[in-house]
Amino acid sequence: MNNKWLEKNTFHYSEFMDLNLLVEKKRDRKIKISLCLPTLNEEKTIAKEIIIIKSELMTRYPLLDEIVVIDSGSTDNTKKIVRAYDIEFYDADDILPNLEKFKGKGENLWKALYITKGDIIVYLDADIKNIHHRFVYALVGPLLLYDNVKYCKAFYDRPIAIGKGRMRPTGGGRVTELVIRPLFSLFFPELTQIIQPLSGEYAGCRELLESIPFPIGYGVETSMILDIYGEWGLDAIAQVDLEKRVHRNQDTKALGKMSFAILKTFLNRIEKLGILDIKKDTFNEMIQYYLVKDEYHPDTYKIDGLERPPIIEIPEYRKKFNIK
Amino acid sequence: MENYLEKLPSFVDEIKSIKETIITNIVLIGQIPSPTFKEKRRAQFFMERLAECQIDECTTDGYRNPIGIIRGTSGAKPPIFVVTHLDTFFTQDTDHNYVVKEDSITGPGITDNSVGLGVLISLPEIFQKLNLRFESDIVLAGVIQSIGKGNLRGIRHLLKTWSTPIRGAVCIEGAELGRINYYSDGMIRSEVECNIPTVNGWEPKFKPNAILVLNEVINRILRLRLPQRPRARVIFGKIKGGFSHGIIAYDAKLGFEIQSDSDKMVKEIYSDIKDIIAGVSHEYEVELKLKTISSLYASKLRYNHPLVKSAGEVMKELDLKPVSEPCESELSIFLFRKIPAVTLGITKGENYHQQDNRMEIEPMFKGIAQIIGVIMAIDSGVCDEQ
Repeated sequence: MNNKWLEKNTFHYSEFMDLNLLVEKKRDRKIKISLCLPTLNEEKTIAKEIIIIKSELMTRYPLLDEIVVIDSGSTDNTKKIVRAYDIEFYDADDILPNLEKFKGKGENLWKALYITKGDIIVYLDADIKNIHHRFVYALVGPLLLYDNVKYCKAFYDRPIAIGKGRMRPTGGGRVTELVIRPLFSLFFPELTQIIQPLSGEYAGCRELLESIPFPIGYGVETSMILDIYGEWGLDAIAQVDLEKRVHRNQDTKALGKMSFAILKTFLNRIEKLGILDIKKDTFNEMIQYYLVKDEYHPDTYKIDGLERPPIIEIPEYRKKFNIK
Repeated sequence: MENYLEKLPSFVDEIKSIKETIITNIVLIGQIPSPTFKEKRRAQFFMERLAECQIDECTTDGYRNPIGIIRGTSGAKPPIFVVTHLDTFFTQDTDHNYVVKEDSITGPGITDNSVGLGVLISLPEIFQKLNLRFESDIVLAGVIQSIGKGNLRGIRHLLKTWSTPIRGAVCIEGAELGRINYYSDGMIRSEVECNIPTVNGWEPKFKPNAILVLNEVINRILRLRLPQRPRARVIFGKIKGGFSHGIIAYDAKLGFEIQSDSDKMVKEIYSDIKDIIAGVSHEYEVELKLKTISSLYASKLRYNHPLVKSAGEVMKELDLKPVSEPCESELSIFLFRKIPAVTLGITKGENYHQQDNRMEIEPMFKGIAQIIGVIMAIDSGVCDEQ
């Protein structure tokens, strides 16, 4: 395997700091760009994300045409805060209400395709503590400046906030290094060049995103990469170094559940591709144990591995976007 | 600029209409760590932001204070300075990521002085929004090395090397809205350090304890009879020392400030403290080092100075109740150089100088309108005939 893609399609955010150029390119191509923030109880971080991005990339430089928040049923002040800053807020359940309802990040991202009008859609996690507008413009930059690039992922050094105002300088990415990278190395060595395949920040062209299925939950990033790679090739993907990202730390049990969902998505994909023949159906429950007063108690968490079909197959979507 | 007072209430809503821009500036500049002597990155952002607003001149002075100049219409009137400090009390490795809610911003240094800086770099856009032009040049300066050991070096240098007269100045502090400072006390800021030398091998059981030695220094200073007139006080602001609970302290350090509206009184108290320290050092047979890290002369504007009166009228127009206290900051240096100046606060806050320092968003818009009102007052000539 050579590292040609890594050299050619890897960028640093500073390469896209000329925002006037990006706005000009966007105007030349007569396209719209949307930002979607999927949320679930993000009252601590959502206001800052909205304010900074709206101020810098809508008011100061008209790079973005809209920001939408799609929520999975927050019980904190997320909705109130979003509305206070004049941003469109949607409860995921209210979008395409005739379809069966599911809860999960992938569900929100999929439904964002129906709600937004952009030709490029940027997805950002809403828990970024050190949000900066580079998180958006650097993901959009390669799509605007390079014709071959249709999908761009972020990677970064990920310090973790460990409370009392202290930071641990490196960390995070445990699921990437312990689950995804070994799997990619086994089955798709070319994809190991993607430094952080599970990063929650990426941008893609609508033509691409509307044509791929979306797992409801955590598997969405893995499936996106595999599907885009399979259909359009690695050259359609780029990655950009956003340097530092500060986020909440998750405990090992939570990462275990995440890994379960990712493995399920991955196995599903390689089976479809005919790479592996799994003779028996896999189970849908992640089982973890807790020690309570010298006794081990199982804690089961159901992950069905459901997927939404490519949204272009949904009649309501075809009607809204006038697709014959 | 006539009738500027009447316009002020309407300014508040117009300023509020660009609240995202102002809050973004506060957050982006405040999240850059900027302890005294390490303000370079914050200064760089200050310059970049002003350059993005395409103001007429954007530069640094010889001491690396970042400065932006908005050219006035007159060409002949001296400039008006709007100044705030770039440095904070928080260290480089403190988590500076702020939490923004619908009505507040929380994080280290938000009121001292991220909000001041964020508002300062937003002023070109606010002036544009309000369609304001001034006769004087407006000099927007973020000054470095202000607090603690910085000893106001940035502002001292800026004013010392500024070649033309200055019409007047507004110094901005994040909190508290309603403050109007127009006089500064004379001040000496010092540190006294006690170090007990260690010996090789077994330590004597009853050697002097550095913490107790400084405790004795404090007690003797407290016994000084300070006059009520001229007003004077000694503030013990910092203390640290020792190693572990069960080990006699080898070292300890005490930071204090002498303040008075009389420079002579400050010097006399300093001399008394110097004697106390020499006495304790002699009696306890320990070395005590007294170091002065900063000093200021007392300076003031008259209460009925037109700038103070105008600032009071501006505040009244905005339903703000003025509160005045002495202020030992950039203001002192302007007043010392006979440049009329006031310090104003922008908003309300809580948990000052703590990690969870919080500012309220809503009162800030009045705070900004007040600053603009005072700039307009200076531009209308209130400082000219003194």
